[in-house]
Amino acid sequence: MTQKLRIAVISKDRDFSSQLGLWLEGKGFQPILLHELGSVLGIIYGDPPDVVIADLRHGGSEIQDLIRDFKGDSYFSMLPVIGIFEENADETFTWSDCPLDDFITHPFNHSVFFSRINLSLQRIERVLDNNPLTKLPGNTSIQNAIEKALGRDLAVCYIDINNFKPYNDTYGFSHGDEVLRMVARIMANCVRDAGPGGFSGHVGGDDFVFIVTLEKAESVCQTILDHFRIIVSDLFGEEEKARGSYRASDRQGNEQNIPLLGIAIAVIPMNTPKMTHFGKVAEVSAEMKKFAKKSGESCYVVDRRKT
Amino acid sequence: MDNKRAEIRSIIKDTKSLPTLPGVIAKLTSLAENSKASVNEMARVVSSDQVLSAKVLRLVNSPFYGFSGRVSTISNALILLGVNVVKSLALSSSIFEMMEKNTVGLWEHSLGAGVAANIIARKLELPEIEEISTAALLHDIGKVIIKIKLESDYDHLIALIKEKDMSMLEAEKDLLDADHAEIGEWLARSWFLPEKLIEPIAFHHDVERASTQLVKTAVVHVADVLVKASGFGFSGDDYVPRIQAVAWNKLGLNEIFLEEIVGELEDKLVDCKNFSLEIQSEGDTKT
Repeated sequence: MTQKLRIAVISKDRDFSSQLGLWLEGKGFQPILLHELGSVLGIIYGDPPDVVIADLRHGGSEIQDLIRDFKGDSYFSMLPVIGIFEENADETFTWSDCPLDDFITHPFNHSVFFSRINLSLQRIERVLDNNPLTKLPGNTSIQNAIEKALGRDLAVCYIDINNFKPYNDTYGFSHGDEVLRMVARIMANCVRDAGPGGFSGHVGGDDFVFIVTLEKAESVCQTILDHFRIIVSDLFGEEEKARGSYRASDRQGNEQNIPLLGIAIAVIPMNTPKMTHFGKVAEVSAEMKKFAKKSGESCYVVDRRKT
Repeated sequence: MDNKRAEIRSIIKDTKSLPTLPGVIAKLTSLAENSKASVNEMARVVSSDQVLSAKVLRLVNSPFYGFSGRVSTISNALILLGVNVVKSLALSSSIFEMMEKNTVGLWEHSLGAGVAANIIARKLELPEIEEISTAALLHDIGKVIIKIKLESDYDHLIALIKEKDMSMLEAEKDLLDADHAEIGEWLARSWFLPEKLIEPIAFHHDVERASTQLVKTAVVHVADVLVKASGFGFSGDDYVPRIQAVAWNKLGLNEIFLEEIVGELEDKLVDCKNFSLEIQSEGDTKT
């Protein structure tokens, strides 16, 4: 089903790398053996591998330069690099000079090396996909989680903050970020309290997704709404809270009343035949969010339509 | 004398945690075992203890979570941290070694002040009642620092109060060149607590100095005086200060109103006493 993971081995030691190549093949990986340092970058950029193994025992400084080069590019910084050292050489290595993700000393225990490769892949996936602001999993993880939820007794719920843009414009980015972090914490805590099997993700901006069992979905939504209402008390002054709105100017510079922050949640049950793929879930969620936002008040809306 | 102030400040810088009454931890342990324990139940127990409350507020206002100086109530802290985090925080707390009279007395005094502040704020229909109660609960946190981190000084203080018939506040200034209000302020600042809580802690004996939180500071001051006058708990001395004119005027108090507050407070303190006895007996059985 899935393609073999591609592992690039950068080494000047041809005997060593061909042995390593055979072993990697035996473990179900597809090895790419790179000896000519001059062409390494081109190959990596042109056809990126999944993991890089860099043999730093020979010609280490040249290989270090290469690693620095491609890790310096934000796209390739996600590529995990495992360094191979001579025993004890790691003690004198200047880690800040070369952005390695992990290392192993030669000669090595092959099963440990195998685990290191798998671990480095897992770690990169975890770190990279997480939203830097809220530390919640991002779109790749969200899509995976939703695909796994299809057809089961689960609900995929989309959260969106009402009137977030004017709040951000009026009170500034740092306060806006604070609101996003608060929503993330409220959601993730409520999902965790609802028991095992839940998922919380941050699509980006003021859009969040969580997955819980269908049975608990409405109570989780209600708790999130309640908790958000309590938290809003820390975000506005007494006057604004009493009035239920704040003054802000729109793009044309006209002063107007903006309602306090609220949230809208669209709840999409996954156990219906119409939920066949991720795209369908995204489509239905967009429709449901329109319903949920109509009133302008904090609320949740459950999709009960059969088709 | 400057050295003493510097010493206390450096002690505070290294203070990440303070011990909690064993009974409070026992109560939270039993809540933690109950998987359905809600935010409200947890908040009620946490709000009974000045040390645990300060610790929860410290964590949620720490730069790690990105809400520095923003969260001022226990329920908001619980919503943002999550029940699990607070449970673990409580369970990993160290406990007061000895359940001596002064420790329990100070705990009761803080609890009583929180209750009194709640009554006053509610009767005056002030906004942010929970913040005011939290500020009152925490107003003597500086005394916990003195008791725990400056142990030998604390013994001298107690001796000084007895010998010279001084108030705790005077004795502190004499011996430490700083009083518990100032020490509490240092702790609150070093723990990134919100300004709404810092001023009432810092100026509850000198309401006039409050600039942005005058009303909250005034309520905490009055609550402190009323609880001392009621004889509930023990805050270090038996001296009952007068309500400061600036607080009296700012809150628009009068004799009749004060009588109503005292009446309601007396009732509530009976409940507090029962709760305190329960906490003490839980502490005895679990330790």
